[in-house]
Amino acid sequence: MKDKLEILVGIGIAVAVIVTLYFFLINAGNIDSSEIISSGVVIILVASALYILWDRIKNVKRGLPAQDERLKITNYKACYYGFIASIWSAVGAPLISGIIFDYELPGHYVTAVVVLCGGLAFMLSYFLLAWKGN
Amino acid sequence: MKTRIKELRARHDLTQEDLAIKVGVRRETILFIEKGKYNPSLKLAHDIAKVLQTTIDELFIFE
Repeated sequence: MKDKLEILVGIGIAVAVIVTLYFFLINAGNIDSSEIISSGVVIILVASALYILWDRIKNVKRGLPAQDERLKITNYKACYYGFIASIWSAVGAPLISGIIFDYELPGHYVTAVVVLCGGLAFMLSYFLLAWKGN
Repeated sequence: MKTRIKELRARHDLTQEDLAIKVGVRRETILFIEKGKYNPSLKLAHDIAKVLQTTIDELFIFE
């Protein structure tokens, strides 16, 4: 029951993100390169999340648990790496922007970088750890 | 760490998926334990040993 609820919530969030991105893109007008990159990262994150959900659905259908002790450890480790990436991107993004491009990054851009870097680091480390077996 | 899970599983005519269902984990977890890429918790090791009618000592070879 808990597994099914988690899967349903996951699908709901993924659909909500896709719908939000769709409305953003059709109403954005002129889209600059940073928006294209951030939209691309969001699409990668949503696709990865949908893959994880599909994998869980496949296991539940076969009578196996959606998540077991190994995947819980994988999740914790991936969360840790995502957290570290978020912190470093919060510090590094304004610094790199200021030093290399001589441009003061606005607050909402820093927030976007932090969220996307954290998400990307989580997904990459999740798949790497799941593939390696911890 | 090496294991004898594969050998004992074959003796009991169990597939990885059968064993995974019996101990309540995913098939990949059994695969990684067999390959020595994942160290299971004491509870999971105990459950696997119980299903394969052996002891943890006989199931895992510590080097």
